Amino acid sequence: MVMETLEQIKARIENAISGAKPEIIPNESPSAQRSLLLDPAHAVEVAKFLRDDSQLRLDYCSNVTGVDWLDLIIKEKVKVKKVVEGVEKEVEEPVERKRPGYLEAVYHLYSMALKHGPLIIRLRTENRADKNHVPSLTPVWRGAEFQEREIYDLYGIIFDGHPDLRRILMWEGFADHPMRKDYVEPDDYEYEPTPHDEVLEKTKQHHSPEPKP
Amino acid sequence: MNQPDPYLVIVVFLVAATLFAVAPLLLAWIWARTFSPRKPGPDKNAIYECGLESKGDAWVQFRSEYYLYGIIFLIFDVETIFLLPFAVAFTKLPVGAFIAMMVFLLLLVEGLVWAWRKGVLKWS
Amino acid sequence: MNEGLRSELSKQGIFTTTLGDLYNWGRKNSVWPLQFGLACCAIEMIATTMARYDLARFGAEVFRPSPRQADLMIVAGTVTKKMAPQVVRLYNQMPEPKYVIAMGACAISGGPFKQGYNVLKGIDRFIPVDVHIPGCPPRPEALIHAFMTLQKKIETQQLTGVNRPRHLDAEAPSEFPVPKFGGHDLEPPNNPAVWHAPKLVREP
Repeated sequence: MVMETLEQIKARIENAISGAKPEIIPNESPSAQRSLLLDPAHAVEVAKFLRDDSQLRLDYCSNVTGVDWLDLIIKEKVKVKKVVEGVEKEVEEPVERKRPGYLEAVYHLYSMALKHGPLIIRLRTENRADKNHVPSLTPVWRGAEFQEREIYDLYGIIFDGHPDLRRILMWEGFADHPMRKDYVEPDDYEYEPTPHDEVLEKTKQHHSPEPKP
Repeated sequence: MNQPDPYLVIVVFLVAATLFAVAPLLLAWIWARTFSPRKPGPDKNAIYECGLESKGDAWVQFRSEYYLYGIIFLIFDVETIFLLPFAVAFTKLPVGAFIAMMVFLLLLVEGLVWAWRKGVLKWS
Repeated sequence: MNEGLRSELSKQGIFTTTLGDLYNWGRKNSVWPLQFGLACCAIEMIATTMARYDLARFGAEVFRPSPRQADLMIVAGTVTKKMAPQVVRLYNQMPEPKYVIAMGACAISGGPFKQGYNVLKGIDRFIPVDVHIPGCPPRPEALIHAFMTLQKKIETQQLTGVNRPRHLDAEAPSEFPVPKFGGHDLEPPNNPAVWHAPKLVREP
């Protein structure tokens, strides 16, 4: 069976839940797999709609993963009206726009009952530091529990409403989130038999001084 | 020549048995004293708990209700040993065997009902 | 007693030995491993004990579920940083004499997960390892070879003298510090008394 298009699903979500603002995220890679960005305030409601709607029935959450987006400086060319040598002209000017970084949780949904999917939904935090809360979808899809714990552990997203939010791979008291792009790993490169590339750079400071010929 | 005391054999056996039991222990003790030093330590003397640090004492009391639960579980656990061959050979069994099995089951269920009414299954 | 006299006596049917040899002969044929596996290498370790490879031929079939009764720790698999303190504590809880076989690429160096954030780069950073086996995972024959290597090592250990093994030396430690969970890594990240990074000198 073929699932509805993303636009149809978006329109039906907007009809069913007032105030929900789902947004279609384009994908320019060859897969062209687009996804639906949900606003945190209505995310649980929308998730319940996706699960219970008779045409969708996305009852299986196959995968939850995290993405770390760093602060990005987007360079654009904007047409600006300017007075050049006494004549008003449209001139293209480079503009730099700073997009603050955020963390993202990505859910891949399938329907076991209707045998269609995947529908990909995303939740974004406001920033990477203190406003890192998103609502947990574990109450909707029970299978998301451990994967949300893993994202909490490795990316530091806090899932509100999660029944048991503890670290899963690292220990309690571990300060970092290892899958974040700015994670600094401990320096234990004392012994690398065959280092190359970035590992070679890291081992170099442990090398003994080269013997003089 | 005098006949030796018939009980002497028993005494000899007793001494030999005691020596047989004590001699290895004694040898091990002498070996340990002579060669291998004792090295106790906080980890080595700690309560063993799969490598984790144990919390609390190893000498804890269990509730007596747990024992009754265990007994009732055991009855129905053993019952499955009889029920499985019964179920496998069910179609070939005569009526008498079926009735006998039902009586057996009834006796066990009766025990469960009795325990239930006594309030054994209530975990307070 | 010199070798000549010994061989002369054995020709006459008289067997002679020393106390130390007898002691080591008994020890090397009853090495009881500690029963635990950390990852996929444990499957190969289990296969080694089963009928096809039969570790029982070497007197090591009795895998003990408690460290109190074990002589040998086979570190079979990836040691994560979360697991490392438990492994060290189990080693500490074993009575002496005790030996360690690090089985597989992960246990000796971290293996394919070496640059991972949660994997210890070799158990020899915290406890002394007697035999390292490379392989991912090593075949049962490799484990048996490691076992025979360990038996050879036990055979040559002397009862007295400066070179006597650790368990006969009252000064040598029998426990090693258990690492703590720190904010960024295990603390300490290795035990300098046990582990020395091999000095690598690179050609310019």
